[in-house]
Amino acid sequence: MKLLTHNMLTSHVKGVTKGYPLLIKATEVKVSEEEFNPNFVSRMIPKLEWSALVQAADGLGHLQDLPTELIADYEANEDFLRKVHRVLLEVEVLEGCLQCPESGREFPITRGVPNMLLNEEEA
Amino acid sequence: LISDGQQCPLVVVGETGFQVSDEVYTVTIGATVPTGFENTAAEEVQEKIGANAKISKDRGRIYFQITTDKLSQVHHLRSVDNLFVVVEEYDNYQFKDSKEETLEDLQKLASKLPWSDALKVWNMNTTLKKKRGPHRQPQGPRGRGRGKANKVTLETDTMQTETIEADIVETDTVETDTVVTDTVVTDTVETDEVPGQELGAKVLKFRVTCNRAGDKHSFSSNEAARDFGGAVQELFQWKADMTKFDIEVLLNIHNVEMVIGIALTEESLHRRNITHFGPTTLRSTLCYGMLRLCKPQASDVILDPMCGTGAIPLEGAIEWQQAFYLAGDNNDMAVSRTVNNICHIQKKRRDKGSISGLPIDTVQWDLCHLPMRTSSVDIIITDMPFGKRMGSRKNNWDLYPSCLKEMARVTRPGSGKAVILTQDKKCFQKAISRMGGLWRKHHTVWVNVGGLHAGVFLLKRTLGIFGQIAEDSREGKESKPHEEKPGEERKKE
Repeated sequence: MKLLTHNMLTSHVKGVTKGYPLLIKATEVKVSEEEFNPNFVSRMIPKLEWSALVQAADGLGHLQDLPTELIADYEANEDFLRKVHRVLLEVEVLEGCLQCPESGREFPITRGVPNMLLNEEEA
Repeated sequence: LISDGQQCPLVVVGETGFQVSDEVYTVTIGATVPTGFENTAAEEVQEKIGANAKISKDRGRIYFQITTDKLSQVHHLRSVDNLFVVVEEYDNYQFKDSKEETLEDLQKLASKLPWSDALKVWNMNTTLKKKRGPHRQPQGPRGRGRGKANKVTLETDTMQTETIEADIVETDTVETDTVVTDTVVTDTVETDEVPGQELGAKVLKFRVTCNRAGDKHSFSSNEAARDFGGAVQELFQWKADMTKFDIEVLLNIHNVEMVIGIALTEESLHRRNITHFGPTTLRSTLCYGMLRLCKPQASDVILDPMCGTGAIPLEGAIEWQQAFYLAGDNNDMAVSRTVNNICHIQKKRRDKGSISGLPIDTVQWDLCHLPMRTSSVDIIITDMPFGKRMGSRKNNWDLYPSCLKEMARVTRPGSGKAVILTQDKKCFQKAISRMGGLWRKHHTVWVNVGGLHAGVFLLKRTLGIFGQIAEDSREGKESKPHEEKPGEERKKE
């Protein structure tokens, strides 16, 4: 599970109103290279919840020097875009779980795949 | 018409005994594409080769011209299933009334055709293929009886060999699906045939495949193939072999149109990305066609909520890398196969020395309760379960509206789109008609999937905010359509 994906995932347990962002509890994390596309990154940034991204990266110990606040004029700042690229696409959680911040319900992550299926009572 | 017997200044004799020269000339290439996607294929040809493609009245075929120096480019087309070089084409062939006379005509035709250029192209193509290394052997006995030995090897320890249930291809023949593997391809593999050394040493094996469509023919495709084939054999002294052939001659007849060609692709290219098949895996060429319809843009978040083996998002992640793909399914096996298919492609890329990472992720979820933030998705693209094979007609009636609602919730209002393939067209259209506040039908492509007629619906997300539109709530007491009659059994795909 990449952090870009995590940024879009939310808990949908019945009755939960504050199901985002999910807390990451990782037991295995991998960093792998992915081709850098500055256009992709700069257009993706407005679609992200920036603080959730920073929080997730930090929780995994992969924040490095990514700014906690979005900088102005990032479109032209390749250095910054590369940092965002790394955190969005290159850091992957392979094993662990995602936890609903409100209900505490845990969703396991296996082989990089979060299992978000709910039981009948939770749906 | 391409004239025969060109004088070439530089003559090198290739393995087949045909004269191969450095001269560049123009030939017509034919390609079979998923029916309904002729236009998208023509677009791709224009884009990647710069040629104007002509769409044949015989559905599922396009034709375009190229110069022989560009031959390798045709193999990069992702919307085509099979390629062939045209020997001759007739717009208005006068078939005689009687079977005997017609077949006799076909026999006589063989020696009158301008084979030479097409055969040179075939030869070039064979050399090209050898240089690319031994390519993957997809399924075993497939479609039109091409029985190549099926190589099945154990993958790495993350994958297992599995035999999966049969799948039907457009030619109405059952293929057995198994896990396949590539032999590792190194681009530096050299063919060890030096032109000239094997002059005349090898007798070529061939077969003729005839596709015939039309009401007024007095003969069957088998008869045409047999008699035409006989004449071809006499002409070239090749050996006929139905399974281990070097050359496949194509005889395509559609009413009064007739095209004679030589195949350039051995196995169909249509399952290129998938090694771990499921019961409903879509052809990659069909996936490509669907993706082209939605025109992925940079940073588009593209979701397949019922991804099966991941065929669609994987094709997207390879071909339109500027978008991001989320593949999801509720089924354990589907999720597992998707992950395996992605890993397989990544490994192939690593082996070739490319950056292996692909912009794709997999999630296990229930598509009626997507764990996604509202309005976070740009495009939904999926192959919805077909009638009796995956769901049932009755289930689809309930499933479609809930799906469409949930998909509307996660899709960005105004700019969002959905491209949905379904065979249950009636049910789907009915469901859409009740969602006017959220989805608007933009365009439909009618396609043929495994012998079944299906529709690819392109929808646009309205500006309506989810939860604020009256029409997004399901009306209660709608009467259900009557159940399918027993006689309308669908073929298993």
